Amino acid sequence: MLQALMPLLVDGLANAALIFFVAVGLSLVFSVLRILNVAHGSFYAIGAYASVSLSLWIVSAGLSPWLTLPALAVSAAIVAAILGPAVERGFLRWTYGRPESLQILVTFALFLIFEDLQKLVFGVQSLYQDAPVQLFGTSEIGGILYLNYQLVLIALAVLVVVALRLLMSYTRFGKLMVAVVADPEVSQALGIDTRRVYMAAFTLGVFLAAFGGALASPTVGVAPGTGPEAIVLAFAVAAIGGLGQIEGAALAALVVGVVRVLAIYFAPEFEAVVPYLVMLAVLLVRPYGLFGSVRVRRI
Amino acid sequence: MLVLRSVKARLGGVLVLRDVDLAVEAGRTTVLVGRNGAGKTTTLRVIMGLVPLAAGRVAMAGTDLGALPSHARAAAGIGYAPEDRRLIPAFSVEDNLLLPALALRLPSAERRARLDQVYDLLPELKAMRGRAGGHLSGGQGKMVALGRALMVGTRLVLLDEPFQGLAPALALAYAEAIGRIRSRMPELALLITESSPHLLDRIVDRTVQIERGEIVRDTVPAA
Ligand SMILES: Nc1ncnc2c1ncn2[C@@H]1O[C@H](COP(=O)(O)OP(=O)(O)OP(=O)(O)O)[C@@H](O)[C@H]1O
Ligand SMILES: [Mg+2]
Repeated sequence: MLQALMPLLVDGLANAALIFFVAVGLSLVFSVLRILNVAHGSFYAIGAYASVSLSLWIVSAGLSPWLTLPALAVSAAIVAAILGPAVERGFLRWTYGRPESLQILVTFALFLIFEDLQKLVFGVQSLYQDAPVQLFGTSEIGGILYLNYQLVLIALAVLVVVALRLLMSYTRFGKLMVAVVADPEVSQALGIDTRRVYMAAFTLGVFLAAFGGALASPTVGVAPGTGPEAIVLAFAVAAIGGLGQIEGAALAALVVGVVRVLAIYFAPEFEAVVPYLVMLAVLLVRPYGLFGSVRVRRI
Repeated sequence: MLVLRSVKARLGGVLVLRDVDLAVEAGRTTVLVGRNGAGKTTTLRVIMGLVPLAAGRVAMAGTDLGALPSHARAAAGIGYAPEDRRLIPAFSVEDNLLLPALALRLPSAERRARLDQVYDLLPELKAMRGRAGGHLSGGQGKMVALGRALMVGTRLVLLDEPFQGLAPALALAYAEAIGRIRSRMPELALLITESSPHLLDRIVDRTVQIERGEIVRDTVPAA
């Protein structure tokens, strides 16, 4: 059984790693800006489109395929640098302090606009460029062949958890974010320019989602529907972990990844719904997620 | 130092400050007294830019504060200790104190000097510097909030009902701390709100009374 489960598990964890990137950004934006951003999955899709386009260009221009590796991060950074400030300053800030229903409707409208824009710019066909996966090759462990790229994805997710924790604990920006999460008003009165913290935190969230999409694109490609699927799963993961929890999002992604693998193995017809079943079960027992609580606002 | 002229402010559509004129002088301790709901907290929040001005003018040392966002008022040297302390629960006491210095990007020597001065003025804080802001008693929290306000407030410090809820011994310690601040920072302007003004009798230079959003009395006690 282990022989059959191991490849599935690596596959599941690699997927979980990708969803983690989206979920942790969603959670971060929720804690700092107090907005549940329905359009967050679109950044995942746009990151994927940007990265595939850049990689396709690199390869067609006859440049070294190794350049497609930095291209994954570079395309996510470009997407974040443009869309982060534009969306936060252009749209979200007008909804601060307004009813949640309005915020959800505004971000829902943004989501629909992004979906259409993607079709307009990239068409409706699926795009794919797997140079990064090829470059990493495969390893044989215990007679089973693994894609090294998937192992890299899992390692990157762990790295991002650690990096975010260090950011929150030891850097100026991280500490200011923690303060703004706990008390935006007092933060202002103590000299924190909260507008900048909102913009920077949102941009970081966009980067994480776009990076997730960029990393996903060499394995599954990107097509219409990529964004909606990402946001729905990320919502489930963020809710299971407790909105605003970094490690919570990581563990929830892990739980969802493993549960999906078990479903594929034992009851494949349920694979698609198990994340939401887990979410329901967790929310009914612990309404603020596995690691969340109402009283303590932290990150 | 700080001047409020015909200040009006609304909360939820209600005119809460109807006509506030106030002058807070450098080197003086001014107390704003008034019943519950008179508008003391709102006055301080207007000074900090947390409640928008509906009319009138707020100026410090001649510069109009009206156009400045809250964080720029802190940068201009105004420290604020809100009524309900509002420390960052996840931060240690020391990190709470250092937060404004971090926000304002003070050079590390300046940061250190201000922290040392706060520990000097409020030795209680040094003993609990490592404790989490969320794990303090109400009175301890008030001391930390005072220290935090001093980290920013080099020119003006606003204290909202600092004695409220303090046990007598702690209230005494707090009043002594204010006395030390007064003598160590002779140029500092202090504006303190209080509903029971007798606690401040010995340190007050000027008493301003607010009633239903209007200043009704402004007295400088005879020396
Ligand atoms: N959101 C609000 N909408 C309408 N009125 C409000 C709102 N918040 C406060 N008020 C009113 O504003 C007035 C002034 O409140 P403020 O907090 O400034 O009083 P205060 O003098 O600080 O009182 P206390 O001694 O109880 O702290 C009160 O009468 C209060 O009822
Ligand atoms: Mg009050």
